[in-house]
Amino acid sequence: MVNRTAIIKQPDKISFFNDVYKLQKEYQEALILDNSKPDFIWIGEHQLCYTLGRGSNYDNLLFSLNDDKYDVFKIDRGGEVTCHMPGQLVTYLVLDLKNFNKDLNWYLRKIEEIIIKILGNFNIDCHSRKGFTGVWKGNKKIASIGIGCKRWVTINGFSINIDCELENFNKIVPCGIENCLMTNMIDYNKNFNIQEVKRIVKKIIQEELNFDFVSK
Amino acid sequence: MSHEIFMPALSSTMTEGKIVEWLKNPGDKVERGESVLVVESDKADMDVESFQDGYLAAVLMPAGSTAPVGETIGLIVENEDEIASVQEQNKGSQLEVSSSDQLELVSNKTEEKLVDHNEIIEKEEKEEKAVVLKSEKPAPSFNSDQISAATSNVSSRVIASPRAKKLASQMGVDLAKVYGSGPHGRIQADDILKANGQPVSIPWIGEGGSPASITGANLQVESKPEKSGNSFGNPGETVQFNTLQKAVNKNMESSLDVPCFRVGYSINTDKLDNFYKKVKQNGVTMTALLVKAVAKTLKKHPQVNSSFSENGISYPENINIAVAVAMEDGGLITPVLKEPCNTDLFELSREWKDLVKRSRLKQLEPDEYSTGTFTLSNLGMFGVDRFDAILPPGTGAILAIASSKPTVVANSDGSISVKKIMQVNLTADHRVIYGADGASFLKDLASLIENEPETLVS
Repeated sequence: MVNRTAIIKQPDKISFFNDVYKLQKEYQEALILDNSKPDFIWIGEHQLCYTLGRGSNYDNLLFSLNDDKYDVFKIDRGGEVTCHMPGQLVTYLVLDLKNFNKDLNWYLRKIEEIIIKILGNFNIDCHSRKGFTGVWKGNKKIASIGIGCKRWVTINGFSINIDCELENFNKIVPCGIENCLMTNMIDYNKNFNIQEVKRIVKKIIQEELNFDFVSK
Repeated sequence: MSHEIFMPALSSTMTEGKIVEWLKNPGDKVERGESVLVVESDKADMDVESFQDGYLAAVLMPAGSTAPVGETIGLIVENEDEIASVQEQNKGSQLEVSSSDQLELVSNKTEEKLVDHNEIIEKEEKEEKAVVLKSEKPAPSFNSDQISAATSNVSSRVIASPRAKKLASQMGVDLAKVYGSGPHGRIQADDILKANGQPVSIPWIGEGGSPASITGANLQVESKPEKSGNSFGNPGETVQFNTLQKAVNKNMESSLDVPCFRVGYSINTDKLDNFYKKVKQNGVTMTALLVKAVAKTLKKHPQVNSSFSENGISYPENINIAVAVAMEDGGLITPVLKEPCNTDLFELSREWKDLVKRSRLKQLEPDEYSTGTFTLSNLGMFGVDRFDAILPPGTGAILAIASSKPTVVANSDGSISVKKIMQVNLTADHRVIYGADGASFLKDLASLIENEPETLVS
């Protein structure tokens, strides 16, 4: 696999979902138009919001769309509704898969592998489940994946629940799976902070996808 | 002319995909590169783009439905005024998608395809299917009038291939007075030549060739007495080489400085033929299948993709497969399918059709015919048993592919059976590729074609 340069952003502040989404779109468009442009990786946290994939079933939202209390975004990724909030680490990868493997199944499995290695770093033994994309600790979901792709340039990525208010998931049917239980990393290991997780996420992505990072 | 939108393969294991959303409605203008719909597989979704400026004429599979990879899911037309006729032809398709597909193949593709014996047979097969539909399926969404209108409207006006039209205008032949020998009385270039009292030449080109499905076709072709071989001059004449012929001559002569050896293999194509039958209706060509098989095998055998250079053995960064295509007016050209391993079979077939079309129009860019790292030459469509090919300069090997024929085979357990056997013959530069390299490449190629042709999808 060739070495690739990726621009990486990891803000310490909580970021508004829409700002980061726009940023991803810009990098994706740039890569589609010119494949010599760098890939882009963003690691951070969002304010509380709900996002739907393009194929999502609105029945999985257990509140009214007219309810101003909740921010809801419909975005171009696969999968059903999910929820982001502080205490959950979100990683977006805008990658040109033409440089890796033009295979979305390969990419989803690769992301699962990356998440499992990240959690393994904190001595949390997790696994994937066939037919249920994401990463699971026992029967509880600890990380969710949703990606979009245009001309083999990806957008969106994965989120790992570190120490977040899981009650927020009660207002939706997460990933469209009834009775899907969610869990936090903190329930299995208390000796780390979110900054450490960010560092490990970056390290493992770098190793697994063979990246040279450029911070911007 | 309508262009099909196919269900793409988002991954090597994907067999079908779900249409999440149509971003365009029938009648909307679409630009090349613009997203037309979204397809989902698992937690990943993909924007499917138009490869063409035009209008979305028909949505054959609605949002929420699932379609096999390679299935036609929508149609794009180039001009706004074609929308109505395409929609008319695809009426009822939402209800009876699979059957309307068959009709569509008959009615739309007639115009755009090139003249080729195999293709005529294919069309006749499709026609039969349409007729079967008519008798077996008085489905509520169709009435038999509609079907015959879709399949036989050609009889009401003059239908001629683009080349026939051009020849007719050049020769001053009245199309209305010409008997069309093509499907539904379509006038072919040969019919014009005949009407004008000229000798008929077989338009031959290394495409359309299913080495496998031809047996029947050959019989029919051979029984046509008026067909004669290619000739660029008349008896007694000496005709100057054209530019392309000169270029080919130069390339062929340079092979005399290369110490080549040849190694052959007999490959059972029963499984490949069955797989081809399944995917053919989705626009897959035998050339694309063979290119894919060769490229995948080369990936495991980089030595066979290498070439001689003054500095040593040169290993190209890419696997690019050149395929020899004979030109009607003499010479041949080798359009290149770049990195077939990274392109799904359906896309590869479309790329190939586009390359062949543009080769005939002499519109290829240099990097589209000069960047091959390995060459295929397929004469299967002529029914040949075997042949060996001459190595093009700058490459290490070329594979000659002959016809696949039913053959009596003695099996290892002593039993006898009839299998379709295709002989292939590798010519290689012994300075870089040794006998064992070539032989083990052929062994793996045979194993891929014989045992798992379905993996050629992606």
